[in-house]
Amino acid sequence: MYPIVLLSVLGIVVLFLGFMKSKSVLLPATLLFLVLALASNFIDWNQGKVLYFYEMLAVNNLTLAFNAIVLVSAFMIVAMTRGFQDQEEAQPAEYYGIMLFSLVGAFMIIGYEHLIMLFVGIEILSVSMYILTGSDKSNLRSNEAALKYFLMGAFATGIMLFGIALLYGATGSFNLTDIQSYVSIQGRGVSYILYAGLLLLLIGMLFKVSAAPFHFWTPDVYDGAPTIFTTFMSTIVKTAGFAAIFRLLSHSFTPIYSFWWITLAAITVLTLLVGNIIAVYQNSFKRMLAYSSISHAGYLLIAVTSLSPQTENAILFYSLAYSIATISAFGVLMLVSKKKALEGQVDESYAAFNGLAAQNPLLAFVLAVSMLSLAGIPLTAGFWGKFFVFGSAVERGLVWMLVVAVLMSAVGIYYYFRAIIAAYLKEGDIGKIRIAPFYRIILVVATAMTILFGLAPGIFEKLL
Amino acid sequence: MNTTYLPSDFLPIVVQFGLAAGFIVLTMIVTHRIGPSRKSKMKDDPFECGIEVKGDARTPISVKYFLVAILFVLFDVEVIFMYPWAVNFQNLGMLGFIEMLVFMALLLSGFYYIIRKGVLEWEQ
Repeated sequence: MYPIVLLSVLGIVVLFLGFMKSKSVLLPATLLFLVLALASNFIDWNQGKVLYFYEMLAVNNLTLAFNAIVLVSAFMIVAMTRGFQDQEEAQPAEYYGIMLFSLVGAFMIIGYEHLIMLFVGIEILSVSMYILTGSDKSNLRSNEAALKYFLMGAFATGIMLFGIALLYGATGSFNLTDIQSYVSIQGRGVSYILYAGLLLLLIGMLFKVSAAPFHFWTPDVYDGAPTIFTTFMSTIVKTAGFAAIFRLLSHSFTPIYSFWWITLAAITVLTLLVGNIIAVYQNSFKRMLAYSSISHAGYLLIAVTSLSPQTENAILFYSLAYSIATISAFGVLMLVSKKKALEGQVDESYAAFNGLAAQNPLLAFVLAVSMLSLAGIPLTAGFWGKFFVFGSAVERGLVWMLVVAVLMSAVGIYYYFRAIIAAYLKEGDIGKIRIAPFYRIILVVATAMTILFGLAPGIFEKLL
Repeated sequence: MNTTYLPSDFLPIVVQFGLAAGFIVLTMIVTHRIGPSRKSKMKDDPFECGIEVKGDARTPISVKYFLVAILFVLFDVEVIFMYPWAVNFQNLGMLGFIEMLVFMALLLSGFYYIIRKGVLEWEQ
């Protein structure tokens, strides 16, 4: 609860800090605020389940851990903005303010106890993302992406709201615990309206985490948005979205598991196939990462579908591993694509990385580790993420789904390794790239965390 | 809550729906059937208080109009929250008063932000 209140107020403070003559105070202030929010997040640590805001928001160690992942990702991403100094038309105060506000939405959907809270949280998060997607106003692709995202997102929100209304109609309550008790009393005899409501609600939420067949917006939006905000979208929205889906299904709808698991299993398999196979055909690295984010949504969905006791740990660890690796991959892409900019057009293809290792060994190494982690190669965090996810599926006995998932990870190795091959084996004329000290620290820390969690995944469980 | 609704309990809704749809269909058929249909260039012109049509409706309009319109709607809607609060002022007590103060503080900080951003300066 504390980070929600804190960031709501501090977001406004950031907006007003933007009126100061010197813009250089914004970045340190935002980072400080994120640290404050992270500290306040742990006030409720180990208190058991605490309810806030008239029992509309629940806090327990799991939601706090998700909050922490979101905050750490946000800290890294904000640090990589470097105050937007290199963009003339940028509005740093507004960008930072909106980023902080969107985090409030993320916390709300991580810990909601009431479906209205879920809806409000998703709206806060989505509307912030629509704005940030279109923030590069002079860029036609950015505008197009924002419009597409907004229109499709508005439809998805409508569908979701319809689902919530039907759930209310069936159970007479918005409260997750009340819905849970209704479902467990009625068992399979629940009203059909509940089934329809649950499916519509799931469609709306799966849209937000870009699971197939609701993924069509993802490549265009991720590609068109400024890279820094693509990073924000692909990590924070995804982590929070999966926390929300998991919360809904594990908290309220376990008694009718036999109903919804088939739907989710079909969506999972479709997401894995679509994400991985289309990613192979991409020439743009950024677009590949968009499809990769779809495929990772698929892996996370495996954990949600299996819903075993291991699932919450698997989702937590996977989100963390995925977020760190994605942030460092986009971090390298931002530096390289700016260096290789031709006639104002940034070069975001694989070819931009050609010969990166020759003069920039650090960047090439960071890229390689993040690609290995995303591909799920051992000794990286991504491997253990996949391991835990597959483990929870084995526990549920979903072996056929694992066959698909493992095959698709093998496909994934192909397109992730293209970037590594470009960086290490191809010839290129890329010069020495100057990295700001703070940026370098973030990249090194992200890489170190990926390797550390890859070597000793137990550290993470001890932290919990 | 009563959860034992039978499908027949929803019959009034079906009747209502049938009536609504039926009325539209009926009026459309009847007006086309019984009304005379004459077409001429003069008659198909857009009619606006007898003034002749000039130019196109899709002219570019200054973005300031939209900003002012959106801000008006925003503040208008937020002020509506004060009506139910005012009616229940006695019941809500001190907590309600403080909550409204917080709400107004947020609203006014937004207003101050707009002024500082120069959104309301028409001449720029």
